Amino acid sequence: MNGWTLTATVALGAGVGATVWGVATGPLRRRVVAQNLSSALACPGLLLLAQGYGRPAYIDLALVLALLGPVGTLVFARLLADDLAEDPPHAWGVTFAVAGYGAVVVLVLCAVTGPGRAMVKLLVIGALLIGGNLVASRALSGGFARSRRG
Amino acid sequence: MDDPLIVVVLLLVAATATAAVAVRDPVRQALVLSVLGVALALLFTVAQAPDVGLSQLAVGSALTPLLVMLSVRKVRRRQGDGKGRAP
Amino acid sequence: MDAQTALRGALEVLLWWAGLTVLWLVLISTVDTLEWVVGASAALVGALAARAARRAVGGR
Repeated sequence: MNGWTLTATVALGAGVGATVWGVATGPLRRRVVAQNLSSALACPGLLLLAQGYGRPAYIDLALVLALLGPVGTLVFARLLADDLAEDPPHAWGVTFAVAGYGAVVVLVLCAVTGPGRAMVKLLVIGALLIGGNLVASRALSGGFARSRRG
Repeated sequence: MDDPLIVVVLLLVAATATAAVAVRDPVRQALVLSVLGVALALLFTVAQAPDVGLSQLAVGSALTPLLVMLSVRKVRRRQGDGKGRAP
Repeated sequence: MDAQTALRGALEVLLWWAGLTVLWLVLISTVDTLEWVVGASAALVGALAARAARRAVGGR
């Protein structure tokens, strides 16, 4: 157990634990936001785990999650557009906080990795993570309903 | 070797799976199921099985919710038609 | 006019190909000749698919 896995333990326990609570209770608009944030919180955790175990191959898990997590949220945003249109979620504060957390993790790992292909890969994952998260949040807060009606 | 981490992730999986059973509405169940997919992928990763985690991520985070949601949509639409046509 | 359209299409495929090849080379673990060959071929397929998808979406 080193500092990386300790940080991952705390971040996963608190962050993903909070999203589990959010997705299991409350109104529908809170549940979809929690589902979106669960993938955005687990992805930096996987990056920290890859660094903590000293196995760069584990980064591929974070890459797949950064790519497919927003896709899953877009599925919900598209198929629940009618339910969400009456009561759209507005959770930009939490969304930006989680995006900032992802950015901090990616930048710290970049600083540790040093320049090279591995750092570019980390930056690609970070861009996918934050961009996908923001696109999915925008779709949840009414992007689909607006584009269909407007 | 990383006992606290495994315990934390196991607790996450247990809590999410319990929630997936306890929630009654299929739509909300699909949301919990997608979080359960991510939690299971985390569990496989801390158990040093990243290949299993990869396939779990690919199936659990987008494909399973899509299947459930499409089925719910179809059932709802059919129920709506039935109500509309009923005398 | 036709030649210009073809030139623009070839340029677009070339841009997609270059981007996808760079992405492939960044994401793999070790770079060698076989990876170059496989990556360049896969990126060519991806570039053609990307152009077809962009035309299908944008050409409404």
